Amino acid sequence: MQVYLPIAEMSVDALLLVGIGFAVGWLSGLFGVGGGFLLTPVLILIGIPSPVAVASGANQTLGASVSGLIAQWRRGNVDARMGTVLLAGGFAGSVAGVQLFALLRRIGQVDLAVSLFYVVVLGTVGALMVMESVRAILRRRTATRRKLHEHFWMHGLPLKIRFRKSRLYISVIPPALIGFGIGVLSAVMGVGGGFMLVPAMIYLLGMPTGVVIGTSLFQVVFVAANVTLLQAVQLGSVDLLLTMLLLLGGVAGAQFGAAMGTRLRGEETRALLGLMVLAVAISLLWGLLRTPANLYSSGPAL
Amino acid sequence: MSLRRPAGLPCRSAAGSSCRSAVGLSCRSAAGLSCRSAAGLLALLALLVLAAPRALAQEVPLVAALSQTAVEVSTGFTGAALMVFGSTEAPIGPGGDEILVVVRGPTRPLVVRRKVKALGLIWVNGPAARFAQVPGFYAIAGTRPAWQLLPEEVRQQNGLGLDALPLVSTGARAPGFRAAVLELETASGLWLEDAAPVEIGGSRLFHVQLPLPAAVPTGEYRVEVLLVRSRRIVAREEMGFRVDRVGTADRIATIADTRPLVYGVLCVLLAALAGWVGSILFRRS
Repeated sequence: MQVYLPIAEMSVDALLLVGIGFAVGWLSGLFGVGGGFLLTPVLILIGIPSPVAVASGANQTLGASVSGLIAQWRRGNVDARMGTVLLAGGFAGSVAGVQLFALLRRIGQVDLAVSLFYVVVLGTVGALMVMESVRAILRRRTATRRKLHEHFWMHGLPLKIRFRKSRLYISVIPPALIGFGIGVLSAVMGVGGGFMLVPAMIYLLGMPTGVVIGTSLFQVVFVAANVTLLQAVQLGSVDLLLTMLLLLGGVAGAQFGAAMGTRLRGEETRALLGLMVLAVAISLLWGLLRTPANLYSSGPAL
Repeated sequence: MSLRRPAGLPCRSAAGSSCRSAVGLSCRSAAGLSCRSAAGLLALLALLVLAAPRALAQEVPLVAALSQTAVEVSTGFTGAALMVFGSTEAPIGPGGDEILVVVRGPTRPLVVRRKVKALGLIWVNGPAARFAQVPGFYAIAGTRPAWQLLPEEVRQQNGLGLDALPLVSTGARAPGFRAAVLELETASGLWLEDAAPVEIGGSRLFHVQLPLPAAVPTGEYRVEVLLVRSRRIVAREEMGFRVDRVGTADRIATIADTRPLVYGVLCVLLAALAGWVGSILFRRS
């Protein structure tokens, strides 16, 4: 069934979009991330223009994360204070990121920037996750205990605040900076940033795993909302119909994925997610390296 | 209306002023006799111009029409087909009259970029050429290809054929960019040259069906039907149609365009609502 997307100005198979939404939703439910990092490249692959794919991807991530956030909030797994600090940085970051995106679009390097960001960020995060989880799986056999978290220079910074839910007493500067970085990335890549935020909170901030997913969803929902709003106002590239079709499949897929995720062990899940992230990075890198079929491309003059 | 008026005005005023000054000059400078003859010539010309349409109306060498004057782009739009048909006074076909049909869509500025290898490793967008007025849709069809029917200069003057389109570019100047525009637009199905010939029925009737792909830009389209006799254009008929978004597609695009803030808030709220409804639906079941 073909459907005409009013902002992308093209006709796409609606069932294909619902199917993509379902598959990405299933994976994101399984791994507890928004799934934007998979969605945006897939949308670009099926021919949606990059700006529309990035903006609509952010909008879809928002919808997909809301249901997760509601569930986590009910269980009391959200550190709202930490979330607010991350969010303050995230808002500033997404404003800066949308400016960067508008600039890239003017000089005609959106496709390159999006691909490069994906290759670098996903490659790094994916490799780290795989390495960490493999080490964790091996450690499980030897069963040595680790310290709760280590103290280093970061803990000497000023503006310390007590985060009760996270059982932390640290400066607000590191979480705000992390939030800012995620905000920039989410604007340029059309992702919520959950897949980067979760490891950052565990390894950099030393937050307990229980509140990490909920708090990251808290930040993702609001940053994605901000990115959607900014992209819509500044670039007019959010396609509502595209978002809704993706969400139709995504919301259902996320529930199935979450149900299956409870049956997998933490380390195995993280290793799988890491491998998937790496696979996306490698396929995008290949796209940059190989000789393009057509050297020329055209776009509307801005 | 607003589109036509600026185009019509300078034309009329230019013609008027040049006429007046020409007459005025000749009257003042030359003797009375030549002045009277000049005025007489002008009167004769005016009479001819006035009489010409009436004479054409009696003969009518060419009549043409479109299957539709509006193409509606709804959310289910997958493209459309436009039928151009008509009849001529003299028989069409080999040795007789020939028909050319040209459809031009609204123009837009276009940037063409060429990928270059950066650092000897990755492909990035390099030099770019900017084309000011590129038709978003262009289709030409004829009883025979235009280059067989008309002399080269007439074809170039009237922009008949993809290689005769006036594409003016700024920026990178390599000829490859113009060729790339042709290639990309043809590949997207938005530019067509002799996709299907104009069919002749009963020697005086002609028709051709032109496909409008799903990606056709919205706006005003012009259709020109030309009657060619012994390598000259002897009659032309101009028509127009519009491509407009309708229904949901139109409402979404209009709000996104005119009230982006409202649209952004709407997108955020609807996505959040979809996520919330989803979580409720699946928790119950």
